[in-house]
Amino acid sequence: MKMRAALIAVPLLLLSGCGGSDTSQANNGQANIANNATPETAKTNGMAMLAVAAPSKERALQIMHDRHEAMEKLGDSMKTLHRALDASPADLSAIRVQTALMARTAAQIPGMFPVGTGPDVGKTRAKPEIWAQQNNFHERSREFLAATLAIDAAARAGDLNKVMALHERVDQACKACHDPFRAPKN
Amino acid sequence: MAEGGSGVKQRVWDLPVRLVHWLLAALILFSWWSVHNHHTDWHIWSGCAVLTLLIFRLLWGFVGSSTARWTSFIRGPRAVGDYLRGRWSGAGHTPLGALSVIALLGALAAQVCLGLIAEDEDGLYTGPLSRLVSIDTSDKARDLHELWFDVILALIVLHIAAIIFYRLRGRPLTRAMVTGNAILHPDAKPIKPGKWWVALLCLAAGIGITRWIIAGAPPF
Repeated sequence: MKMRAALIAVPLLLLSGCGGSDTSQANNGQANIANNATPETAKTNGMAMLAVAAPSKERALQIMHDRHEAMEKLGDSMKTLHRALDASPADLSAIRVQTALMARTAAQIPGMFPVGTGPDVGKTRAKPEIWAQQNNFHERSREFLAATLAIDAAARAGDLNKVMALHERVDQACKACHDPFRAPKN
Repeated sequence: MAEGGSGVKQRVWDLPVRLVHWLLAALILFSWWSVHNHHTDWHIWSGCAVLTLLIFRLLWGFVGSSTARWTSFIRGPRAVGDYLRGRWSGAGHTPLGALSVIALLGALAAQVCLGLIAEDEDGLYTGPLSRLVSIDTSDKARDLHELWFDVILALIVLHIAAIIFYRLRGRPLTRAMVTGNAILHPDAKPIKPGKWWVALLCLAAGIGITRWIIAGAPPF
């Protein structure tokens, strides 16, 4: 995989120098990556790939599995949070447990998607666009982290109204990343 | 509607029956499209609209026009046998077609019930009654809700296949569901139309009950 990453990265770097995009389509190992690639995105791709060497197949599958588990737990947290907020009176201690969990997982998301853990490696709903539009992806993961940190702070301060209001922001942050970057089931 | 050819053109389907039919068809299509295109919120509203129509249709089946009434078309296996041997002449659903109507409406009702207590996998969208059940039950309801759509699809395929079959035998069922009129056997009993204000009352009940469910079915 390392060699493959280098094979991909070198032409991309060359390409960023000359500013063409045709060669990147021809050389790029990951399908779709270069479909909408401007020279800028091609450049960041190349740099990201050099910065993080692609993991071995075995390691990649482990990362993808752990990622799936973490995302599922995040979903469980959302559901528990929803109910804890709905309960009358709202269950503040349950809310705090979940918002803390969510903020912690949110901080790990950027590291859960190294190059070489896409659908070409194994079963995953992560779309190739994650690596084709890394800036966009990371911007959205940052917003999710910001939203979960904010709701966690509000929960720790015991400000239920603020938690309610931020709940919507967290919902939107989930959706803003899932809509473009997660493939449908099956 | 069983006997072909020579007969008199008559009203078979009243306006409420036709509206319910085509609105359900459109809402099923919309529900499928919206949930596959990141519009789960629209999907839930669509389900609520289906619920309203089903409640309306249930009530109209007791107090509506003669061909809309459950008692006019739900019959035993003997009637189905008679129909298959060509010994049936009437207006409205045939004894065999009635089974299809019951299956379709029943499958839709089950689908709505599952949707009411379901929640999406991310915990972003919840059916209006999902908080009445556990997270686990709600997740299972969503999985079943997805699987059950295949049952509905199968029934729709059967429904359309039957319509094509009758069309090839010279009976344009679709036209009757659009215009409300069909060429009937001279012996067929004419429709006894329901009253428009009764239809409005049924609709009001459908909307009222749906709103109560959307509110999470609070106690009175």
